Parts: sequence; structure tokens; C-alpha cells
Amino acid sequence: MPITIHKRLLLISMRELRRIASKPMYVFCMLVAPIFCFIFFTTLMSKGLPNDLPAGVVDLDNTSTTRNIIRNLDAFQNTQIIEHFSSFNEAREAMQKGEIYSFYYIPKGTTEEAISGRQPTVSFYINYSYLIAGSLLYKDQRTMSELASGAVGRSTLLAKGATMDQAMAYLQPIIIDTHALNNPWLNYSVYLCNTLFPGILMLLIFLTTSYALGVEIKDKTSRQLLKMGNNSIVTALIGKLLPHTIIFFVVAVFYNVYLYGFQHFPCNSGIFPMLLAGLLLVLSSQALGIFFFGLFGSMRLAMSCASLWGVISFSISGFTFPVMAMHPTLQALSNLFPLRNYFLLYVNLALNGYPLIYAWHSVVILLLFMILPFFVLKKLQNEMLHYEYIP
Amino acid sequence: MKNNSFIDSIKEGISGLFYICARELKACAKDQGVLIFFLLVPLAYPLVYAFIYTNEVVREVPTAVVDANKSSLSREYLRLVDGSPDIEIKSHCADLEEAKQLLKEQKVYGVIYIPQNFSSDIAKGIQTQVSIFSDMSGMLFYKALLTANTEASLIMNKQIKIERAGNTTDRQDEVNASPIKYEAVSMFNPQNGFASFLIPAVLILIIQQTLLLGIGMSAGTARETNRFRDLIPLSRQYQGTLRIVLGKSFAYLMIYAVMSAYILCLVPKMFSLVQIAQPMTLLAFIFPYLLACIFFSMTCSIFIHHRESCMMIYVFTSIPLLFISGISWPGAAVPEFWKVFSWLFPSTFGINGFVRINTMGATLSDVLPEYHGLWIQAGVYFITSCIVYRRQILLSRRHAMERLNAFRKRKLLKQES
Repeated sequence: MPITIHKRLLLISMRELRRIASKPMYVFCMLVAPIFCFIFFTTLMSKGLPNDLPAGVVDLDNTSTTRNIIRNLDAFQNTQIIEHFSSFNEAREAMQKGEIYSFYYIPKGTTEEAISGRQPTVSFYINYSYLIAGSLLYKDQRTMSELASGAVGRSTLLAKGATMDQAMAYLQPIIIDTHALNNPWLNYSVYLCNTLFPGILMLLIFLTTSYALGVEIKDKTSRQLLKMGNNSIVTALIGKLLPHTIIFFVVAVFYNVYLYGFQHFPCNSGIFPMLLAGLLLVLSSQALGIFFFGLFGSMRLAMSCASLWGVISFSISGFTFPVMAMHPTLQALSNLFPLRNYFLLYVNLALNGYPLIYAWHSVVILLLFMILPFFVLKKLQNEMLHYEYIP
Repeated sequence: MKNNSFIDSIKEGISGLFYICARELKACAKDQGVLIFFLLVPLAYPLVYAFIYTNEVVREVPTAVVDANKSSLSREYLRLVDGSPDIEIKSHCADLEEAKQLLKEQKVYGVIYIPQNFSSDIAKGIQTQVSIFSDMSGMLFYKALLTANTEASLIMNKQIKIERAGNTTDRQDEVNASPIKYEAVSMFNPQNGFASFLIPAVLILIIQQTLLLGIGMSAGTARETNRFRDLIPLSRQYQGTLRIVLGKSFAYLMIYAVMSAYILCLVPKMFSLVQIAQPMTLLAFIFPYLLACIFFSMTCSIFIHHRESCMMIYVFTSIPLLFISGISWPGAAVPEFWKVFSWLFPSTFGINGFVRINTMGATLSDVLPEYHGLWIQAGVYFITSCIVYRRQILLSRRHAMERLNAFRKRKLLKQES
């Protein structure tokens, strides 16, 4: 009596589950590593926006006006004045030692020159080797300088009898009112974690899939696997990778719930479309993993390629450095990375809450990834039957 | 006599050391997998990264404009904004709805809205507001939009003030508009570029990660090819812990002396990144870094029982390690627990020290904490790798003895029967 296909799938899946349970490596890659990363990144960036970044001051003037400027600067959210230096060189050395990210320099005679209308110059020095810290401090120090300049003008105007509103309208006729859409706190954790998590998961899926297929050939169990699938590579593959799909999808659900349910990150589309995106990510990453293995037939090359693809994804998906600013070749290539398309989906759905139709191309590309294994099925069957493990 | 044997054992040790070193080098050269990590990745990866970030900054972010005012003043404002290198006005929309549609289609990443009473407010001397809306899929879009608009508003504010003041001389105008001038100086990364900020950290991280992967893989291979699945073969030369650890690490050090020169000196030059390190300082700093990385990798390699495991375990760690090092996420904002945790990895000290030496021209005395940290790590991980290898030697001996005993027993049984 022939066994039905369902039964075969079930048997292969049970076999795979036993293999997963018997190798700590699988447990590490499928559960421990991703969950460690989720917790790591959210606790690392728990503040959202780094505040109280250390900065220094060189106040050679040291009058009540300049001390006031410094006090105000210290009161800004992102800046914390940790030290007063007596000379420019001392401050520069502190910067090279990494004690401060920037310093504010007030030359001697600033107050006197400002009062007598000789327009003195103050300067601030920002260390842009640390881009985020530098940008945040720049913002504070620039605002402070504007205010300081305004304060001198304001006291003159108020003395002449203008009201506060009039004075402000005179000093700053146009002001900029910024709206950071859907992330008004400029929260870096929201900005980064939403793409880092799926990125880590995707990298691990690439690796685990290539590894799981390769290890069959390495352990010389691939023929047994094919036999269980009635010599059909499709049955064998589906049965083998279905447990992986389920486990990885559970991890994807976990991070979605963790981000949107517990961390309360903006999720304007509701969580279900994001879960769907998570499923698409898991499936397309698995498909790419199968494709890598089918293409190379060697575990080592497939896994090297998987690592390369996975690690480059982080840069090329454009969540830190936008794709539009990259070389046109790279802009085209970025479509070949599942993470790039997932990122576009996330921006469209969770971040901005637009209807899915505006990101249809990302959905299509993610679906296209799932076709990839079909190109290597023949080769894969051949590999499973005849290939020897090459170290 | 005794003295003689001591010298002999040293001699034997040294010759064993070089034997092991040569064997390790040969094994690396023969093993394609290890070659990928020791040669191909360090050669190619930095180039890929530098290529991705080659443009350094975001220019001409496409922006939509809703000009409800349509006066000469609002047009001048928009001309100023458009003139900035940061953004480019892609489209003029009739209302905010139309602009939002463009945002949804990702045709633009920002919207500038000029209110209807923009020019009349200015004429009346009332403060007026220009609103900007930024897509937050990239922090750099927000930054570009904000910079361009702030710049434009400051220029216009100044002009307006000068007109209102009605002073007689240009100099008086100037002083009236801004009683105190200020200037911002970008140090060590003059164009505020992304590559100059991230690439140095990535370069140092590549050294550690490829060493971890390469040494892990060769350890996994050694175990798989070994008869008893042990790390250490049972030949005469492999009898001393010290000579194994030193012999192997010497082989890796030789390979990585060359690779580091390429990664840390040539790559920044090729992509004209900031590079103001003093050669001797850099050399003195990188030496302990390599040692720390090598011994760290050798210690970690005991976890690797199969060739391919190394990729599964190590590859993903690159991302957390980059974040924890204090470059992408400011070190001052890293929570205490993770800061202490990060001291376990040579890359933390390596990245911080290298960025300061290479990009900021620091001297060795400026990076003393990192420098000491690396030497401590090198020492500690040297001891742990010795312990680990000592255990492996004992294990492989025990396995051999067990095997031998089993063999003898069988022989005895045979003779009896």
C-alpha cells in the first residue's frame, strides 16, 4: 500500500525535527542568536535618542554673558558640558582621547566686542568621526549660537521698548516648524531596530537553510532523504524545510509582537500586515538559501555566499545610508536583497500606514524570490543523489 | 647534563614551533574555505563597503513644495532652498494632499509648506512659520531637509532684518543682523561623510571577524580529519602546549601582518578617506590588536566542532559588535552593562583606538586605555588558549590511550582463544 504524500511530508518533517533537536547548533541559530540580538539592540538603544553627550567648553572671555551661554548650552537635552578647558589645544587633546565629542570656543573679548558692535566670532568644533553624536551636538550648539546672538539683539530691542513678540519677530522673521512624520521623537531605536531585527533573522535563515541542505550530503544522508520523499526533490525539500519555516515564522511573530506590542513602536498599519511581511521575508530568505545551495552544490561556497549576501543586506537596504544616494548600479542591485524589499514594506506599512498598494513592487519581488528554487531543482536532485562532500 | 637537556628541550620546542607554524601555513594555503576568509574576504569586503558608501553624503533629496503664498518672497525662499546641495525641488503641488500622494508613492521624501500669509506676516512684522514634513525612513532625509531650510531661513532673516533696520553702511547692516557671528568647524571628517565615519570601524572589525572565521574553520577541519575528533594531532611535534599555541599564532600573525597593511593602509588611500595616522603609532597599536584577535579566536575555536559551524556562529555577531563599539551608537550612550560586556571583544578597543589614531591623528598616549586593554586581552586570551589547548592535548592522549588499551585487550582475547 503506497504512503500518501501527506504522510511522507510528515515523516520527513519529524526526521528534520529530530535533527534540529539533536544539534545545539540549530537551536542556537534559530532561537538563541535572534532573540539575543532582539534584546541586545532594544536595551542598547533604550534611550531612543542619545542625550547628555559629553562636550567641552573653552571660555577665554569668562564674563557673565559667556557663562550664561554655557549654562544654557548645558541645559540642552543632547549636550552635557563635562569640562572647561583653558586652551584650544587642551580641548583638542581631550577630543582625541575620546573624552568629548565637541567643544565650544569663545575667544577673549567676545562680550566687549558684541556690546560695542564689533561683531565677534565664536566657534564650535564637532568631531564627525562619530556621525550621530556629532550631528546631535551640532544641532544644539548651532541653536545656542543663534540664541546667543539673538539674546544680545533682544536685550537692545527690549530696552528700546519693543514687546517680546515684536522682538522675536524682528530677530527671526521666519522660523522652521519641523514635522518628522511618524517618528516625531527622532527615536533611533525605532529607526534602526525595525530593520536590524529582520536583517539578523534573514541572515540566519540564509545560513541555516544552506547548512541544513549541505549537512545531508556531508553526513551521507541525502539519498535516504530523497527516498523518504519518494525520489521527489520537491517533497523532500518541503518536508525538510517546513519545520524551519514554522520556527522562523514564530521568531518573526515574536519580534513583531515585541516591537509593536511591548516597545510600542509606531505600527500604523496594524500588526497583521507586518506579520504577513514577516512571512514573506522568511519564505523568500529560505528560497534564496535553497538557491545558493543548489547553485554551488558545495556547502562551503553556499554558506560563504549566504554570509556575504546577508551582511551586505544591512548596508544596501538603505535604512542607514539611503539607496538613492548610492551608485546607480547599486540602486538596481539593491532589489536583489530581500531585506531591501522588506524595509520598503515596513516603511510603507508600519511606519507610514499607507495602503499596501503603494508597495506592491516589493511584495512582487519578495514573491519572485520564491520562484528561484525551481531553477535549481534538477541540479539539487542530482547533488543529493551523486555529490560527495568536498571540504 | 641536566643543563644540556634543558637546552635540548628548548631547541626541540623551537624547532617544533616552526614545524607547527609551517604546517599551519600549508594547511591554510591548501584549504580553500580558510583561504576565502584569510584572503578573499579581507581583500574584497572593504572594497564593497567603500563602494556602497562612496558618495559619502546624501545630496539632492527629492522634495515637493506647496506654496500657498505665491509671492516674490516665497519664491525667493524656495529658490534659496533649491539652491542648497541637500535637496532638490522635484514638484510644485497645489495642496498638501497632492504632496502627501507623492510621499506615498516615494517620489519625494519631504514636503515644504509655505503658508498663505507668509509674505504679509513678514511685511507686518509678525513671525511666520514654514512647515517641513519629512519621511522618516532615513534619518539623513530629515537632516538634509532641516539643514537646507534652516540655511535658507537664516539667509532670508538676515536680509529682512537689514531692510527693516535701514542702516546707512553695509558694515552696520551686518552687525545689526547678527551681533555675534559663529562658525561650525567639522573636525576629522570635513565633509561629514558616511564612509569616513563607518568604514574605519568596519575595517578593524573585518580583521577580527575573518580571523575568528578562519581559525574556527581550520579548527573544525582539524577535528573532522582527526581520527578521534580531537583538535590536536598526536604526532611528536604537537606535544608542548606552548609550542602549539605560539606556532599557530605565529602563522596567523604572518598572514595578518600583510592583510592588515592592505586593509588599514591601502584601502583608505584608495577611497581617499581621512588618514592622518602616524605610522609608528599605528604599528604599535595594531600589533597588540592582532595578538588579541588571534588568541581570542584560538580560544573561541574550541566551540567549533565542524567546519561550517564557524559561519553559523560568528557571522551574525558582526552587527552587534559594530553597534557596541561606540561608533554608530555613541559610546557615551551605551548602557553600563553592555559597555562592560563589550570589553570581552578585541574589536571594541581596536575600533575606538584605530578611529582615533587614523581619523583623528591621536598619539599612543591618547589611546592608552585602549592600548592597555588590548595588551590585557592578548595576555588573558593567550593564557586561555594555552589552557584550552592543554586540555585538548590531554584529551587526545587519553583517546589514544583508550584506543591502545582496547586494541591490546582485543589482542589478548585473540591470543587466549
